[in-house]
Amino acid sequence: MTTLNINGVVHNVTVPDPNMPLLWVIRDIVGLTGTKYGCGIEVCGACTVLIDGSAERSCNMSVSEAVGRKITTIEGVSADGVSHPLQKAWIQLQVPQCGYCQSGMIMAALENFPGGDGSGISNVCVCGTYQRIKAAIVLANTL
Amino acid sequence: MPAELVLEEPVSTVTEIAENEAASETLQTSSGPSRRAFIATATGGFMLQFCLPGLSRVAQAAGTVAPTQFNSYIQIGADSSITVLFGGCELGQGSMSGLAQLVAEELIVAWSKVKSVSAPPSAISYITGGSSAIRTNYLPLRTAGAAVRMMLIQAAANTWGVPVSECMASNGIVTHTPTKRTLTYGALAPAAAKLTPPTNPTLIADSNLKLIGKPLARLDIPNKVNGRAIYGIDVRIPNMVYAAVKHCPSLGGTLASMPANANGITWVNLGNAIAAVASNTYSAMAAIGEGGDNGGGGGANFNWHIPASAAQVNSTLYAAQAATLMASGKPVNAELIGNPAAAMKTAASTLTATYSFPYLAHACMEVLNCTVNLTSTTCEIWAPTQASGWVQATASAITGLPLTAITVHTTLLGGGLGRKIEQDYIAQAVTIAKTIKKPVKLTWPREEDFGRDQYRPMVLARVQGGLDAKHNIVAWENRIVTPSILAQRGWIAAGAEDGQATEAATGLPYAMLNRSVDFVAHPATVPIGFWRSVGCSFNTYVIESFIDELAHQAGIDPYTYRRTLLANNPRFLAVLDAAAQLGGWTTALPAGHARGIAISEAFGTVVAEVVEISGATATGLKVVSVACAVDCGRVINPDSVTAQMQGGIVHGLSSVLWGHITFTNGTASVRNFNNYRLVRMADMPVIKVKILSNTNAPTGAGEPGVPPLGPALANAYFRATGIRVRNLPFFPAASTMSDG
Repeated sequence: MTTLNINGVVHNVTVPDPNMPLLWVIRDIVGLTGTKYGCGIEVCGACTVLIDGSAERSCNMSVSEAVGRKITTIEGVSADGVSHPLQKAWIQLQVPQCGYCQSGMIMAALENFPGGDGSGISNVCVCGTYQRIKAAIVLANTL
Repeated sequence: MPAELVLEEPVSTVTEIAENEAASETLQTSSGPSRRAFIATATGGFMLQFCLPGLSRVAQAAGTVAPTQFNSYIQIGADSSITVLFGGCELGQGSMSGLAQLVAEELIVAWSKVKSVSAPPSAISYITGGSSAIRTNYLPLRTAGAAVRMMLIQAAANTWGVPVSECMASNGIVTHTPTKRTLTYGALAPAAAKLTPPTNPTLIADSNLKLIGKPLARLDIPNKVNGRAIYGIDVRIPNMVYAAVKHCPSLGGTLASMPANANGITWVNLGNAIAAVASNTYSAMAAIGEGGDNGGGGGANFNWHIPASAAQVNSTLYAAQAATLMASGKPVNAELIGNPAAAMKTAASTLTATYSFPYLAHACMEVLNCTVNLTSTTCEIWAPTQASGWVQATASAITGLPLTAITVHTTLLGGGLGRKIEQDYIAQAVTIAKTIKKPVKLTWPREEDFGRDQYRPMVLARVQGGLDAKHNIVAWENRIVTPSILAQRGWIAAGAEDGQATEAATGLPYAMLNRSVDFVAHPATVPIGFWRSVGCSFNTYVIESFIDELAHQAGIDPYTYRRTLLANNPRFLAVLDAAAQLGGWTTALPAGHARGIAISEAFGTVVAEVVEISGATATGLKVVSVACAVDCGRVINPDSVTAQMQGGIVHGLSSVLWGHITFTNGTASVRNFNNYRLVRMADMPVIKVKILSNTNAPTGAGEPGVPPLGPALANAYFRATGIRVRNLPFFPAASTMSDG
């Protein structure tokens, strides 16, 4: 049995392989699907979560590394899903297109929130929403 | 007892108050002898069923006949909420919201009362592609919305025993103006459902439009900021197992032997691929040795039969074949105006340039996936698909079940870009479900998504131009050598002209008296498909680079040169001028900066872009800004159009700077994003978009932003460095991405 603290909730889960990346434990075993698989090699950032407040790419982080630490996923950003300043700004500026990378983008932005303009984010968005992401982070700092 | 009413009427009877646009828009929407039928059923609410007869270009190319069955619906809830069901999909382009916006306009309801969902597929469903959702369905959807409004008003008038002319609809309520009596749409719905839909619905007049043209908030966005949006890859059904697929490393190869089931893994032979089925996605991917850096220590060893022909799937060989075909291939003429050969001989000066383009991947952020629950009598499918009707047909062919037994749930798509029109991943998932007899979700590892894409084709294109002494183009000869997407699918004969391979090379807006465009089919067997903007993605690069080369040879500013050539084309001229102004074409540049300009028409929309760069060297550059002007006719949601232009520009930028996939022994050179660089935050230019709004019929928005970016960038780069990029991409050696 592996014990994980995800968004303040303790999950006791059976993991078939201790090397299983945290991403797939979160998605397939815990059942929180907001964290996305994009590349599996820590390049695209779609799988970004916070571990003790630091943005980490969960696709290549073994679940055992996350035990005993505070894991925050996109589902834990706010209780109602729309009231965090980043979420408000994302909606106000109509940031997402397909939206698939946006969980990772918001988690990357959350690491340094409030502050900054997101210029250090290296996640990939094929739809090309970067300009709006930057503007939304700047706006969220004021909300 | 539910009352049912059927009426059929020819779509050509539709009229519109705004007479100045009715003619052109009717032409856009009435493709063939389509008939629309309304059925209203009284089941505690109201649902108008109707047929949107429009087909996207992909469906037309596939020989699909225009639908005549119901495929779209407007539903009114007891709480007066409005639901629009449309057979397309939401892949980020915002058109599901844009289409609902049309209905909300005609029903005169608050935007907050409207929902938009994918309709269940009918035998012939809409295929999302060709930048067509809005332009194909604009008038039919407004007409359907207007019919519903008139039925609600009629129902209220009947209830009160008053003339229709004394009643008005607004904000989900019908009011009897003289007495101020009111009834909600929800309350009126059962009575309205018993009425005959009007034969001639009256559309809201232009002067009274309240929602069309407004930047309304898209309906899909809130759930995309909190993880609640469900993409195909997120589907979870009871007792589901998880599958991952690995294809033969070489195109054309097949599985030679099956490994034994062991360690919780069940193997399924898919012919050209093998699937591992496990209790979770990671274990399935690890079993085949993919999905991550530590993908199960390499996975199983598979035995593949690789045919000798795989050695012929080779990019070096393909390039040599293309060069031969360019020199001596048998061309099919796509366009001939005047006598370009004769005019070339008498030209004062000539110029010839040859351009080459590589295969490109779609690289959707969401990898291909499909979830299937198959029983002996039913098949339920959840998929991110641009072609739900084809999914139904694919599943029927594999399972032997009738179409009516197959339910398709179109999920949100984490990008489509043309790739999710295809049926390969659907067929695999259905086959796996049929083999293992369990509900299953198939997820392609990213390595397979790159390795088995249906790529944007490679191209070799040559243009020869002849100028007279005043720099007028008196002769123009363009030859395009490329594999045909349509011929590879058997939709046209082998060697026949593929209009999607020559699009944007024919019908040029520029004044040139003598012109020919030839197509030569390249025999390469690499699977190819529809990549955002299709043929325009390379032809516009050729045309707009070459115009720039001619301008340079003539010693004329390239913007001014284009203005002269477009003197008789006011639509292009207006867009060109708007982009030049927005991009500050005539203003002074900082040291080390340079600008380029390009313009093109794609999917009926004219886009011009001015790109400003700095720090250009032989190995790199920085894009400072892109100014984009667009005329896409009547705009439904300007913010969505702006977003599509921004996205198209970024997509175009990634592709020309770094995008390329080569083949050796039938194997693609790229397996993941580390070798397929895309624009990221640090690479982003400032993008400004100006929409030239008007009341012409809507034209495409999803794709037209892509084509001008490449040549505008190339033209800026030439101005900065003197280097003319004729072989794409710009910087193949810089096409890697690392983590962090």
